[in-house]
Amino acid sequence: MDSIVILFITGLLGLFVGMRRQAVLSLSISILGLIFAGVAAYFRGTYISPLASYSGYIPTPSHVIILLCVVSILAVLGGFQRYKQDEEHTGDYLSLLLFSLCGAIILAQPNDMMLFFIGLEILSIPIYVLVGIEKGSATSAEAAVKYFFTGSFASAIILFGIALLYGATGSFQIIEIQSNLAIGIWQSPMAMLGSLFLLAGFVFKIGAVPFHFWGPDVYQGASNAVLMYMSTIVKIAGIYAVLNVFGQIFRDSYFFWIDLIALIIVLSMFYGYITAWKQTSFKRLLAYSSIANAGLMLFALSDILNSNILLFVAAYSFATIPLVVINQLANPTQDAIANWEGIAWKNPLVGVALVIALFSLAGIPPLAGFFGKFSLLLAAVPHLPYAAILALVASVVGVFVYLRLLILALKKPTVQTKQSLSIEQSTVLLLTTLGSLSALYFI
Amino acid sequence: MALILLPLVFSLIAWLLPSAQTRLFGLIGTTINLFASLISVYGFDAQDQLFIDLGLRYVHFSLDSLSYTMIILTNAVFFMVYLSNFKQEITAKKRFSALAFLMQFGLIGVFSTNSILGFYIFWELTLLPIFLILYWFGSFEKPKALLQFFLYTLLGSLAMLLSVIGLLQLTNQQTYEALLAADLNAHGATSIWLMGGFLLAFAVKIPLFPFHTWQAETYTKAPTAGTMLLSAIMLKMALFGLLKWVLPIFDGVATEFWRWPIITLGLIGVVYGALIAIKQQDLKTIFAYASLSHLGLIAAALMLQNEITNQIAIVQIVNHSIVSIGLFLAAGIIESRLQTRDITQLGGIAKVAPRFAFWFAAITFVSLSVPFTAGFIGEFFLIKAIFNAHTLSGIIAATTLIFGAVYMLRAYQIPMFGPTKNSVFEDLSWSEILVFALLIIAAIYLGLSPKCLTDFVATSINQPTL
Repeated sequence: MDSIVILFITGLLGLFVGMRRQAVLSLSISILGLIFAGVAAYFRGTYISPLASYSGYIPTPSHVIILLCVVSILAVLGGFQRYKQDEEHTGDYLSLLLFSLCGAIILAQPNDMMLFFIGLEILSIPIYVLVGIEKGSATSAEAAVKYFFTGSFASAIILFGIALLYGATGSFQIIEIQSNLAIGIWQSPMAMLGSLFLLAGFVFKIGAVPFHFWGPDVYQGASNAVLMYMSTIVKIAGIYAVLNVFGQIFRDSYFFWIDLIALIIVLSMFYGYITAWKQTSFKRLLAYSSIANAGLMLFALSDILNSNILLFVAAYSFATIPLVVINQLANPTQDAIANWEGIAWKNPLVGVALVIALFSLAGIPPLAGFFGKFSLLLAAVPHLPYAAILALVASVVGVFVYLRLLILALKKPTVQTKQSLSIEQSTVLLLTTLGSLSALYFI
Repeated sequence: MALILLPLVFSLIAWLLPSAQTRLFGLIGTTINLFASLISVYGFDAQDQLFIDLGLRYVHFSLDSLSYTMIILTNAVFFMVYLSNFKQEITAKKRFSALAFLMQFGLIGVFSTNSILGFYIFWELTLLPIFLILYWFGSFEKPKALLQFFLYTLLGSLAMLLSVIGLLQLTNQQTYEALLAADLNAHGATSIWLMGGFLLAFAVKIPLFPFHTWQAETYTKAPTAGTMLLSAIMLKMALFGLLKWVLPIFDGVATEFWRWPIITLGLIGVVYGALIAIKQQDLKTIFAYASLSHLGLIAAALMLQNEITNQIAIVQIVNHSIVSIGLFLAAGIIESRLQTRDITQLGGIAKVAPRFAFWFAAITFVSLSVPFTAGFIGEFFLIKAIFNAHTLSGIIAATTLIFGAVYMLRAYQIPMFGPTKNSVFEDLSWSEILVFALLIIAAIYLGLSPKCLTDFVATSINQPTL
């Protein structure tokens, strides 16, 4: 709660300061706010929402909020180059980002269905706006509209699911819904239908097969700066919402939906990685890779108590953000993978960050990505052995998607040109690289 | 501790040093590593076990005499690679030095770690540098061959990962000692599958017969230093894993199940590799298939789980490292001076380069396992062990001696004494002679007294079965 208040106030402050048209000032205020929010979450410990009438039901440790804040700091720094281009709007953009983060924090650990839905909308609406910040570009506008419509559609489905659940159990509070379902109501058609609607909505939000269609188009239309934020924060908050809402409420009907989850995982991973193989646009490739990773994340549902999803999403974010930053360098105006050729040679930091990030995404030890995958699979193997085997096979395909990018980026150019990085970008690349490397000490 | 971390530190230093000093630094660094391991082994009792704690939660280290042997072998191989490529362009590149030291760190980790997860992590860690070395310094026109190598290795690794996860779930233990104590026989078919995952990873690395197709292509396209690293030490990880981890842990139902399939594949590799090697034109391809043939024999013999055989297998592993460095060095020398490795294009080198002819002949004889070299002891005992277990298999295994003579002598004779086609050939430099001399001395020393090595590794090999 402290973190939400701090972020909200910082966001408002940012709007006022933004009127001074000083990009660096807006940036420093946002970063400070994010740091304070993270520190507040650290001291607050386990999250307890005062909006609910009972004490914290789902004790999610404060690590999630800290992770959300850290990733947002990285995304803000990495995208600052773009945000400061529209000098009169820098403050607005950053404030929108902070407001959306408030929603992400609420979404990650709700204890009431209404609160959960509000969090979802607070997270989504600023992002609809941010996706459309390239005002002159048709693809950006298309992406914003597409994201808005599909996102609203998903919200409606979730709302419908909530309504059905309310009909079945007579409550919005997660603890009551759960206890009512546990005594056998989960077998009623209304509750089952509600769980399916809720699941469909979640799958829509995190972008897994079969509700993934919006992903590639929206990613392609969004600017790199926004992409950094939305490809990570939405996933983190979304998967926590899936675990804390869906996984907790429906744990009694586990055997009713777990096979469906396994199917979603396997389809997402194969579809995502195989389709990513032939992409020519980096953002689309990232979108397909994120579809596959969304599938992988769902493994956490198979054993909520023992899965270490935090490590996985952290590793995913620390690998995705530097790649988008590098894409910003390689593709300032276009969006073609061909432009990645030889990018690693233009700056030593870019080279190192790129190799580490791609190998981390591919899940090669001892980088963070491996430990993320490993801890997820370790918990999932007893419950979903066949899905785990298929997931590993799919990740071989995934490795080749990333290797193809790596080989292109490492190709030695005939004429070597240097490209300098701004301070924010070097900071982001350095921090994420260290993050990916230091996993060995944090597991 | 310094033993394990030194290569990592050197890797960072190599990356930060200016390019001009890289070559010298690489040689000095590998020398320091070699001496560090020699000094460390000097104060080490073969009966002992040395635990090293780096403060990591999942990865622990413990050194026994087998680990020490492999670590010294690793350090010696890296030293040799640097010495033999000292004049080549590749060692002047700081990327190469940084990656090579990183790979050395990974290999030492594989050989010294005490936890199954650590084994997997270091196993994979070696993949990253070798991939980049092959990509940057190899002559892969299209990344396809490189990707094939990576695909095979990764499939194997992922099978191993599944097995590691399965093992962790099944026993809830992850240190070597605890896994040895855990009784996997009770799990029957599951343990067979788990062992199969490990074996798939090893079969790709060794490589065993149907999984070897990446080998020749990768060896020929890789830079000489990369080929040496691959064949002299990286493939040994798989044999080490088989000997130290998989066979003792899965002792019982699973080993019984896999014994004869693996021996069969190994023996098919022995004959098949040798037959293909006889018909090849490219020196590196010949040596690649020779490697397939030799390693198939070691893998087959290891599966017998006989104490003496296991000790002798270590001799043969060391011998194979010696041979592959020597042979690929010879191929590299020919390639760098004549820009071809095709033996139909070569001939009469012995007349213009007598010193090269002598040392190449010496290493060829080591490879042929003539008496008084390490290979003789190795092959003799390994074939005898297989013969004792199954007569027909022993006879098939013994053909390696005949076929080996055919392809090796052909590979030596045509370039050296064939009709003169190459009248200009710069003779060996001091560093190349030094490498050859060191290799031959090591091979002969081991051939005369293999006991110093077999006694040293005896305790750590025999312990699991006691």
